[in-house]
Amino acid sequence: MNDQNFILFESYLSKVLSKDETLVFESRLKTEPEFKQAFNTYKELSSFLEHKFENEAASNAFQNNLQKISKAHFNKKEVVLESKKPTKMFQFYKYAIAACIVVLFGIFTFNQFSNPSFSDYNNYDSISLTVRGVQDELLKTAEDAFNNKDFAKTEEVFGQLLEKDHSNKEYQLYKGIALIELNKFKEADSLFGKLSNETSAYKNKAIWYLALSKLKQENYDACLDILKTLPEDADDYKRAQKLIDKLD
Amino acid sequence: MDKKKGHEDQKYIEGLLHNNSFIIQSIYDKFAPKVVNYIKQNSGSTDRAQDVIQDTLITIYNQASQKNLQLTCPFDAYFFLLCKRKWLNELKKSSNKEVTINEAVLSKDDDAQELAFETSVFGEKQALFTEMFSKLGTACKDLLTATFKIKSMEEVAKSLGVTYAYARKKKSLCIGKLTKLVQESPKFNQLNN
Repeated sequence: MNDQNFILFESYLSKVLSKDETLVFESRLKTEPEFKQAFNTYKELSSFLEHKFENEAASNAFQNNLQKISKAHFNKKEVVLESKKPTKMFQFYKYAIAACIVVLFGIFTFNQFSNPSFSDYNNYDSISLTVRGVQDELLKTAEDAFNNKDFAKTEEVFGQLLEKDHSNKEYQLYKGIALIELNKFKEADSLFGKLSNETSAYKNKAIWYLALSKLKQENYDACLDILKTLPEDADDYKRAQKLIDKLD
Repeated sequence: MDKKKGHEDQKYIEGLLHNNSFIIQSIYDKFAPKVVNYIKQNSGSTDRAQDVIQDTLITIYNQASQKNLQLTCPFDAYFFLLCKRKWLNELKKSSNKEVTINEAVLSKDDDAQELAFETSVFGEKQALFTEMFSKLGTACKDLLTATFKIKSMEEVAKSLGVTYAYARKKKSLCIGKLTKLVQESPKFNQLNN
């Protein structure tokens, strides 16, 4: 495309061509594709330049305003997005505390409702059978066996002692205790039953241990009944009352 | 196609053309979120979306101003399509990957597609022209700037200290030069195909 054509394009667009010249021009547009394309591009560029410079002020004003509104819009969006997240920690603590309360309540309730057990009561004081000065191997063995909680031996040795001394109620007591510990309930109950009916220093103890035997057998009703027969002056009266409260 | 609706949304075009802040704000409130979401879901960010939206609105403004743009479809569809095209072109440039422009996704609104395509091409031409103008020599730049700012050719000639005839000739040659630059640019061939 040579310079002449560009001058022609400008003239055509400025409408300074004569009628004939215009006709020739327009006919060339139809017959010469390259001419047409060049002209179209030239025309578009003229329009572009026109808009660029004539409307420069308005265009700049628009662009500035647009920039301002765009900034405001996107800054607003950012602020909205920074929403507070609810603290999950607080939720956790709430549940943890609730769980603790439930557990504590459960333990409390459980304690209230669970039955007492024999193991709560089978703590025995140490016994001393030997008398100073008198040497008795068997007594010593019996004493040691009981104090060491060797109830099998206790039963055996006290049995031997009772063979020699049938009516020794003290020996019967300790043997009876051993029997309970060894879960030989029939014998134990029979022993204590007899012992609790006879007047002796060990009567009340017998009643107490008979009750404990029933307790170990989980025969709570029998235990309760026996406990209620324990007199006020008995050593174990207070313990018995507490146990009655638990069973009742 | 509800032509009435198309005409209704022409108010957005007019609003842009007249730099009506209320309309421009309304465009952002109503139509920007959809574009932002799309761009974010397609390897973009809010910042990039902001730029795309701004550039698109400037293109619409220019077309409205230069070519008397008339909407024949809802602004919503037209605007979204334009932004989408612009974004995908940007991705294409930066990644050199084949980016499929899934036109079927949006709507069966052919008017919107056609219009968006036209505006898109217009926008790209604008960018090309601007680039080529900057490559002109100072003399041409000054002359053309003067020519189009001062409407009267006589006055231009006077201010440049040349004859009217010379000024006119120079104008033709400078635009001619610009034409050549544009035609020789590879981008131009893409646009015309």
